[in-house]
Amino acid sequence: MYGRKACQLVKELASCESEQLSAYNADLFDQVTRECSTHHVELQTLIRKIQDEGLDTQATKNPDHFGALIHHLALVRNKRCLMAYMYNRADIVRSLRWKVGPVLPQEILGKLNFSETEYFKNHSAALDSYMSEMELDLTVDFVPPKDPYIQVRVLDDIGDVLLSDKSANLAPHSIHFLKRTDAEPFIAQGLMEELAN
Amino acid sequence: MGDYYDMDEIMMEEELVSVVFQKAANGVVQIDPSAETNTVEPGSKVELPFWLAQELHMRQAVSINVPSCFDQKTRKEIQADVSCVDLRSRCPYFYELGCKIAPLIGEKTIGALLLYAFKCRYKDILIKGHNASSVALKSASLLTKEESGLYEAARSSMTAFKKWRMGGARYQRATILGKKRKSDECT
Repeated sequence: MYGRKACQLVKELASCESEQLSAYNADLFDQVTRECSTHHVELQTLIRKIQDEGLDTQATKNPDHFGALIHHLALVRNKRCLMAYMYNRADIVRSLRWKVGPVLPQEILGKLNFSETEYFKNHSAALDSYMSEMELDLTVDFVPPKDPYIQVRVLDDIGDVLLSDKSANLAPHSIHFLKRTDAEPFIAQGLMEELAN
Repeated sequence: MGDYYDMDEIMMEEELVSVVFQKAANGVVQIDPSAETNTVEPGSKVELPFWLAQELHMRQAVSINVPSCFDQKTRKEIQADVSCVDLRSRCPYFYELGCKIAPLIGEKTIGALLLYAFKCRYKDILIKGHNASSVALKSASLLTKEESGLYEAARSSMTAFKKWRMGGARYQRATILGKKRKSDECT
């Protein structure tokens, strides 16, 4: 059936758990664009046939007209599916900058196609330049703070890091009392966890 | 028409409805699987996805039959015990499709049917959602897309409420990274 593949593409993205990203399905995407080209060719053939018979393409309601209409509708439908696929992925890609940070882990990068990676870089750069102009880090304090310091446990080997008020050796399983703004990006990346008091 | 990029609407419109062609159409394969040529004859009965059926109906090229999920059998089941009817397997977009298709086929009773089914099931879903533990609900497989969204909303708001009352870690690993480190999260 027409438009089946395009809908599969959308289904694939929608069936992921919320806020998760599926790998970019270039193969299926290409198949759908090829299907679009086929529809276009068929559509033109039918329109030409109507014109060759000397009929008015606007007013004629013969079998050729309805055939062309079906191809036209399938084309529009495929376009909508492709657009929705890219648009909804772009939404997630933008949110990555806020949730994960400017550097993406390999497991997520592998799921993006080239233009999405570029889009992420450009979005990240735009946000960075805005934040440096405002002299304000907008990506921290997503949870209203109670205390400027929090206690955290390190989950991964981060090593020696220069924090805003001190330099610390963040060895795995060590427990630290850090400034909240310093700890927040590490927690978002899954390298630390907050210890509940 | 709703949001152009809405994935749920796109998937809803992929639902098949049975139509009868009033006009012939040339140069189309795949539409009528029983046709030997690539022409669809008037009077042939085929299953079309809703997006195509709707547009063709507006141009009087096809007439739409009442989909099987709104037939007498389903209606009887809904009247008997509405919360036990497996609407998901009938049509995961039962309400949305019903709303869209009712004006097209001129079936006045569908609206009342949808309202009755939703009103009765809504209460049930909300009670279950608020009291559910983290394990998946057995009757969740009966719910349509819309209803499982409601159930999930009720469940998560209850979880958030409990978390707020008990306190606990407020900063979390970004959910998009997945749940790879399960052992670490449990500590």
